[in-house]
Amino acid sequence: MSLSNLIQNWNSFRTRRPYEGQYDDAPYKWAMVIDLDACIGCNACTVACYAENNLPVVGKERFGKGQAMHWIRIERYWGEGEAMQSEFPDHGAQYLPMLCQQCEAAPCEPVCPVGATHHSPDGLNTQVYNRCVGSRYCSANCPYKVRYFNWWNYPDRAWPNPLELQLNPDVTVRSKGVMEKCTFCMQRLRAGMDKAKTEGRILADGEVLTACAQACPTSAITFGNLSDKKSKVARTWKNQQVDLSKNVQEKSEEGIRGYRILEDLNTYPSIVYLERVRNLEA
Amino acid sequence: MNYGKRIFLWIVLFWIGSAQVFAEPFVQGGPIGSQTSDGYDALGPVVEQPIEFPHNTHAGRMQINCMYCHTYARRSNVSGIPRLDKCMGCHNLIEGVKDRPRIKKLFEYWENKQPIPWKKVHDLPDFVRFNHERHIQRFYFQEKRPVREVCGYCHGDIASMTTARRVKALSMGWCVSCHQKDHLEKAGSTVTSHGPNDCWLCHK
Repeated sequence: MSLSNLIQNWNSFRTRRPYEGQYDDAPYKWAMVIDLDACIGCNACTVACYAENNLPVVGKERFGKGQAMHWIRIERYWGEGEAMQSEFPDHGAQYLPMLCQQCEAAPCEPVCPVGATHHSPDGLNTQVYNRCVGSRYCSANCPYKVRYFNWWNYPDRAWPNPLELQLNPDVTVRSKGVMEKCTFCMQRLRAGMDKAKTEGRILADGEVLTACAQACPTSAITFGNLSDKKSKVARTWKNQQVDLSKNVQEKSEEGIRGYRILEDLNTYPSIVYLERVRNLEA
Repeated sequence: MNYGKRIFLWIVLFWIGSAQVFAEPFVQGGPIGSQTSDGYDALGPVVEQPIEFPHNTHAGRMQINCMYCHTYARRSNVSGIPRLDKCMGCHNLIEGVKDRPRIKKLFEYWENKQPIPWKKVHDLPDFVRFNHERHIQRFYFQEKRPVREVCGYCHGDIASMTTARRVKALSMGWCVSCHQKDHLEKAGSTVTSHGPNDCWLCHK
């Protein structure tokens, strides 16, 4: 992609995504549904992500400084009033797995000074490590705070011999000064898509899963292809009346749980969360 | 500039241009560090193999398909270095060459039950992913081009070398230059398409 092409087509890069019916022809548009009612906050998804994507364990001290590298994290929220005043205020937390929302109009993309992050045809927000110069502008611009910066040269210390043998060869081991983020397990998707292309078909629903979706014990995370109208994800998006290309979702009735986080920022995220069902009467 | 000069300039320009377009697909790999036919350099370090494997005999004179030994090329990311028993499968039965020094060395490895420590010649950086399967499926099975040509796009004319040498740049600009060209979708068809240009296709 040349610079002149980038300048000429700037509008389509920035503002025309997404528009109505954009993915009708595209073979793939990866999306996710996370059911917060099913999430038990067990962190299995986080552990799976660490294993799959060569994430370094930074230790307590650096974690405290905000240098953690978890591409997916479990956020905890407490209700107001009663829960906070009980004998065990830690009880009653609600969990929310937070990972890169793969926004269609991603705030991180236009600010990169070197074009290291861009949008893929599959609707993913990509990060090219060897192009990244570490300005951290993308992280500053991300409303979900799901971009992580390598403050240290982790390959030197995070996997002492023989732990380096656990590294996933399909994923780059990032070194100091590089921004990184959730990729929706691109290495798995790519392997599946290549195999499917050789066989002259598109990937079936559930054929490829992200590591987090695969590890989730309660199946709270559903991953799939939104372009495939019969996929579980596409059906859930439709049932929950969430439209990718709208930033205000109109619900036909009360009790439809699907929502996207910080939609009013016009980011058009690819992840739908299903609100937790609470019995307020009891 | 007068008219004659201009005509002359155009002729020269056309001659240069056509020489580029109709350049030989395979250029004999020069000494390492020299430039490729495409004007790229930096071909990587000189690699000394444990046995000077004669590709020119196997792929050249004997016309053995590359994928007889590099079996995984058509179904996997990597093409695969053949195991020792693949060599022995044939060479056990070829009495005529058993006294040659290279074959003696091969049998030595076999009797010591040691794998031959072949070294990687076409080594890409760790952040790059290259899929042999898709390229072989497209150009060999769909377009039905000769195998020497298909493999030769990236590996040069290995059938004229002994041990493989890197003759193509294998740099990003070089990959993209081919991905931007129009290629036939199938043998006999006129439908063309070019390679994908998504960053995450190759970067991982």
